[in-house]
Amino acid sequence: MKTITRIWKVNGEEKTVKVPPMRRLLDVLREDLGLKGAKEGCGEGECGTCTVLINGAPMVSCLIPAGQVRDGTEIMTVEGLEKTEGGRLLQEVYADKGSAQCGFCIPGMILSSYALLSRNPNPDEAAIREAHAGNLCRCTGYQKIVEAVQAAARKWPGNK
Amino acid sequence: MKFLEDMDCAFPKNLQEALKLMADEKSRGRPIAGGTDLMVQWSSGVLPMPERAIDLSGLPELKGVSENTDSVVIGAAVTHAEMRRSPIVQVHLPSLAQAAATIGGAQIQARGTIAGSVANASPAGDLGPSLLITNGRVVVASKAGEREIELAKFFLGYRKIDLQPDELIVRFILPKIHAGCRESFRKLGPRAAQAISKVMGSYRGSAKGKEVKDFAVALGSVAPIPIRLPEFEQWIVGKEIGKKVLDEAEQRVAAMIKPIDDIRSTAEYRQWVSGRIVRGFLEELVAE
Repeated sequence: MKTITRIWKVNGEEKTVKVPPMRRLLDVLREDLGLKGAKEGCGEGECGTCTVLINGAPMVSCLIPAGQVRDGTEIMTVEGLEKTEGGRLLQEVYADKGSAQCGFCIPGMILSSYALLSRNPNPDEAAIREAHAGNLCRCTGYQKIVEAVQAAARKWPGNK
Repeated sequence: MKFLEDMDCAFPKNLQEALKLMADEKSRGRPIAGGTDLMVQWSSGVLPMPERAIDLSGLPELKGVSENTDSVVIGAAVTHAEMRRSPIVQVHLPSLAQAAATIGGAQIQARGTIAGSVANASPAGDLGPSLLITNGRVVVASKAGEREIELAKFFLGYRKIDLQPDELIVRFILPKIHAGCRESFRKLGPRAAQAISKVMGSYRGSAKGKEVKDFAVALGSVAPIPIRLPEFEQWIVGKEIGKKVLDEAEQRVAAMIKPIDDIRSTAEYRQWVSGRIVRGFLEELVAE
């Protein structure tokens, strides 16, 4: 089995991986780096629970061959959230609003929230719903997730 | 059973290197960029896994959106997210910007590319109609040189495009919408995001008052490839848009297409919705 070496910044820490080039990023994160936060739901890019941020943009890690992730890429998983001010805020409001029920979608959902607010700290409801459209949740009906993002926006670092 | 881990992948640094790999049967591989279709098709067994993939996502020659006087030039590896956010695409190819914004969700839009969508050649590919209404062209390259093909002739049949084994799609040349013209995109699926379309369509046209001056219309998911409706386009030009013409237009479109029943919809529903979509386009075209 051929392997390829890649050096990434995962949740702020430099990590070197030696992996088959077509191994899914999701498997590298979970199996090789022990970051079990990103979940495998559908494995087809439909459900969004394996979402991670690649240089700040949400992407589904089940469809990314690890070799395509270039050296120096910044990857953020749900484990990295608490290292950021915005991430800690999102954890708080998701808990306050009761935005998680079974919780399986949340690792991806909350990263989509983080990516949205980082790019647009004042989204309207349509923008919030669109930014989370790639994350399926079968429990909440999404309303409490939207409310959490609205609450986070009001206190977002930089938004007075 | 083969696993993704067993597949090799080459990472050429520029287009020349990629074309060299593609030129030789021994080094050739399946081109991959965003992987949003291929990774699913390989994992599920819909497509057999090749020995090797060739990663095109990092090739600088395939990136970027630019414009000249008449056309917008879009690199093969430009993503749906880049298209929907590009001011050039938004202004000069509004239907394409709208279509790119409806594909999957943010996660898919950040990865999937224009050439990937075209090369996947699904009848339900969301970009097809928006590309066809421009009368645009696609440029493909091999080690021997470049070749330019009308997009209308590039889609050959179900999941078949006019691309040789040693060729790569490099860019799209898409004529801009003229001043005074309108265009837009409409799609119908079970939900707004993450859904494969039952029917989708695009139009580009102009009107003087209620009279149709120009009209190009294309539909997707109603045939093995995205299609224009040339007979309908000829018929509608010169007509005054009113209830009678709209009713007849709707009937004509429904009668003209031959969609199929499949897991996503029925032929009958697709015919009806196609008529309604084109009716909406005509209403929009002549709206104040």
